[in-house]
Amino acid sequence: MAVCVAVIAKENYPLYIRSTPTENELKFHYMVHTSLDVVDEKISAMGKALVDQRELYLGLLYPTEDYKVYGYVTNSKVKFVMVVDSSNTALRDNEIRSMFRKLHNSYTDVMCNPFYNPGDRIQSRAFDNMVTSMMIQVC
Amino acid sequence: MRKHVGDLCLQAGMLQDSLVHYHMSVELLRSVNDFLWLGAALEGLCSASVIYHYPGGTGGKSGARRFQGSTLPAEAANRHRPGAQEVLIDPGALTTNGINPDTSTEIGRAKNCLSPEDIIDKYKEAISYYSKYKNAGVIELEACIKAVRVLAIQKRSMEASEFLQNAVYINLRQLSEEEKIQRYSILSELYELIGFHRKSAFFKRVAAMQCVAPSIAEPGWRACYKLLLETLPGYSLSLDPKDFSRGTHRGWAAVQMRLLHELVYASRRMGNPALSVRHLSFLLQTMLDFLSDQEKKDVTQSLENYTSKCPGTMEPIALPGGLTLPPVPFTKLPIVRHVKLLNLPASLRPHKVKSLLGQNMSTKSPFIYSPIIAHNRGEERSKKIDFQWVQGDVCEVQLMVYNPMPFELRVENMGLLTSGVEFESLPAALSLPAESGLYPVTLVGVPQTTGTITVNGYHTTVFGVFSDCLLDNLPGIKTSGSTVEVIPALPRLQISTSLPRSAHSLQPSSGDEVSTNVSVQLYNGESQQLIIKLENIGMEPLEKLEVTSKVLTTKEKLYGDFLSWKLEETLAQFPLLPGKVATFTINIKVKLDFSCQENLLQDLSDDGISVSGFPLSSPFRQVVRPRVEGKPVNPPESSKAGDYSHVKTLEAVLNFKYSGGPGHTEGYYRNLSLGLHVEVEPSVFFTRVSTLPASSTRQCHLLLDVFNSTEHELTVSTRSSEVLILHAGECQRMAIQVDKFNFESFPESPGEKGQFANPKQLEEERREARGLEIHSKLGIHWRIPSLKRSGEASVEGLLNQLVLEHLQLAPLQWDVLVDGQLCDREAVAACQVGDPVRLEVRLTNQSPRSVGPFALTVVPFQDHQNGVHNYDLRDTVSFVGSSTFYLDAVQPSGQSACLGALLFLYTGDFFLHIRFHEDSTSKELPPSWFCLPSVHVRALEVQA
Repeated sequence: MAVCVAVIAKENYPLYIRSTPTENELKFHYMVHTSLDVVDEKISAMGKALVDQRELYLGLLYPTEDYKVYGYVTNSKVKFVMVVDSSNTALRDNEIRSMFRKLHNSYTDVMCNPFYNPGDRIQSRAFDNMVTSMMIQVC
Repeated sequence: MRKHVGDLCLQAGMLQDSLVHYHMSVELLRSVNDFLWLGAALEGLCSASVIYHYPGGTGGKSGARRFQGSTLPAEAANRHRPGAQEVLIDPGALTTNGINPDTSTEIGRAKNCLSPEDIIDKYKEAISYYSKYKNAGVIELEACIKAVRVLAIQKRSMEASEFLQNAVYINLRQLSEEEKIQRYSILSELYELIGFHRKSAFFKRVAAMQCVAPSIAEPGWRACYKLLLETLPGYSLSLDPKDFSRGTHRGWAAVQMRLLHELVYASRRMGNPALSVRHLSFLLQTMLDFLSDQEKKDVTQSLENYTSKCPGTMEPIALPGGLTLPPVPFTKLPIVRHVKLLNLPASLRPHKVKSLLGQNMSTKSPFIYSPIIAHNRGEERSKKIDFQWVQGDVCEVQLMVYNPMPFELRVENMGLLTSGVEFESLPAALSLPAESGLYPVTLVGVPQTTGTITVNGYHTTVFGVFSDCLLDNLPGIKTSGSTVEVIPALPRLQISTSLPRSAHSLQPSSGDEVSTNVSVQLYNGESQQLIIKLENIGMEPLEKLEVTSKVLTTKEKLYGDFLSWKLEETLAQFPLLPGKVATFTINIKVKLDFSCQENLLQDLSDDGISVSGFPLSSPFRQVVRPRVEGKPVNPPESSKAGDYSHVKTLEAVLNFKYSGGPGHTEGYYRNLSLGLHVEVEPSVFFTRVSTLPASSTRQCHLLLDVFNSTEHELTVSTRSSEVLILHAGECQRMAIQVDKFNFESFPESPGEKGQFANPKQLEEERREARGLEIHSKLGIHWRIPSLKRSGEASVEGLLNQLVLEHLQLAPLQWDVLVDGQLCDREAVAACQVGDPVRLEVRLTNQSPRSVGPFALTVVPFQDHQNGVHNYDLRDTVSFVGSSTFYLDAVQPSGQSACLGALLFLYTGDFFLHIRFHEDSTSKELPPSWFCLPSVHVRALEVQA
């Protein structure tokens, strides 16, 4: 159901990006890249309020004709962006939310790896498998 | 109609009235369900409110534009599309005929004015009404844009983005290409305004792509390029490679790559190959990690194509927009990992003539050691390397490089970048195999002046792109300092010898490196001349030369001078101008121990002749006795081979210190070493040595068992005696009659040294001196006729104390005189029967102490030549006086004599043996000192 999953570092460069139809990879790159604008905007809007208790889930960033882009920001300003096919109407906000939570947990596991160098591209196989499972979950 | 009045009021600047009119028109139109007009009225209401709320706008010009933007479309709504389109095409052109917004500022507050939130709501409403009409797309777009601008002022970017998002979807048909571009540009501008840089970049890129869409007859590459350049900041891409040099690349590689590709393509179509080369090299340099193998190939291929037309340079390219493109050095093609400045080869390394020790130390600090200074010097050293380069000499820098590309990388024109000293860099071309490991590359150059040189970097030409890479900017590079002192020029010396070069290299224990090695094979005792040609191959005259030699420590004992030379002849040819050759001759003389191994000695000691050397009865045994017995050949072949054909090696290092030219005046010199490797094959061995006393007390016989260990026939000759021929592996005894040596006369020379040399050394020196003396007296030479080689042989090594004692002239010199004539050797003293014969025994003391008194008894006897000695001669010989003489104590260098007389009664051959009566006082004196000659007296008939 998710078409593209991306993890973006605090400094707005990708740590991990993966999409299903690989031939159209560049399009998703553009999409995720531009969505960062919205993420930034939302963070700066929220950040002033309550830093500690803010909602990590950003909700729908912006819809395009074919896809919907959702965002999620951890407390350390690592962003998760998920592109979902907009034809899939069955998908609820809650489901997206749980998917992000799963992604976050998996990311935390990656970070716990003592051999992982924060800031490097994520190459963990476990993380990869999890993303794959998220991509084919429905469909 | 109300709406129209409102429009007119707004245009006339009557803000209050227009608001009232708009409100009324909205009310009216709502009931009529004319949505287009309703939308227009709402929009008009919004515009008026905006003008009211933000009288000055956000700034002079943008405010004016917004104002007109909001009035004119309202007007356009009446006239429908034509006018609206005009605005869209060229909004900037209409700025002049707008109304000055300042006029509306003085108008007071109005009840009918909308609150800021309401404005947005009304805009939304208006847009939703517009969207009901397909033809109203332009107006809808216009309204959206206006709403965004308002929101931008209100800093509500989220909502603005929603409006913009909507605007994107507004379907506009029949738009010309130019309009499309315009539309995208405006969109990107608006995104920029609300702080969505990435989105803005995206649309700018789309606009750029529109410029060159295939449907357009005349693609505007220049505009496209310009727009693309503007997108760069949005993709956080900087065209300065320095921003990429630190650490790993962080960014949207795929997107950025795409953009760079487009830039390259656009600049190429623009007809500016230099620009495209620059962009392409930038792409290659920064995105190398993200390119796939195929892409790498493609990119380099196209880069090579471009550079064939226009080579890449290091000058920054200035763009019309005021942007300058900094040069892109290829620091990753190839990647340099390690830079090391190499010292000159050992033979060319300059040395400083040692000045007063510690002088530089004392100038720095009054302390002998201070940790602070040591620390400072350590830091200083981290930059500066502690060796020197020489002006005019080729200096080397080693780089460890590797090629990250999946194909062979050709690097041309690779050279060094230096500062501080004029440096002539000699570029190198190299070809690195695909994905090579670390690959050493040596860059060379010649410093032309003196001073301190700093190696800053290197320059390369890869794929036709020149790049200057500075070491400071390279990530992950290891250098061990890059500053070196260049000293004035020195001459260079090349040596060639008459001997073949050797593959042997001397042991590194010698400390200094040896540039050339020569080897020679010699027989023991042989000597050879080594002619060394000294050629000055440098540019400076050679003024000074010193030669020293060092024999590497061997177990072998070496006799005589191994190497000897005369430097004067060579020095006479100095100064040696460049290109000139001088010759220098060295004599090599190998003289190892000629004694042989212990086991052989034992094997041969079957002879029965004692070495103990008490005078044997018969003095006639000095005949050369051939000894071709089987004995010495008996030992098994293997052990024999091990014993005799054992080749010994001698190694020596000749050091040539030379200097000249300006470097000489600065106190530098160079050191050239020549390794000499001599294989010494054994020639002859003296397997045994012994002495026999000769008939005279002044002489003795030295018996030598000579063994030929070569595989050739060999002749041995001495100074006095005849030639002895020895076949291979043969052993013969030769006897040499020698005068006894008076060692006492010369060994006193090292006496002064004795003060500081211990007795053992002193003894050693004396022995050596004696050996030398014996050697020169004997003059034993060997010759191998078949090989035409000859040499000396020396007995020095095998003379033991006992033999030496026998060879030595006793310090007590006894002379026996018969009838006043000195009677010695085999000389027969004749006398007449019946006449008394005077016998005088004289003692000369040359020993350092006094000896005596002694008692001597003369014992006459007859030798029957058959081993029987007849001592019973009482009837035939009578003594006049006593047969026993007494000698007084003799002082050092004193003389004493005693006289007696004999009377021979019968004719015959008589021998007089003078027997020495041992005294307790003279016990400590060696018995050989009391070796008195026997006297042979022949008593003859009285001549009648």
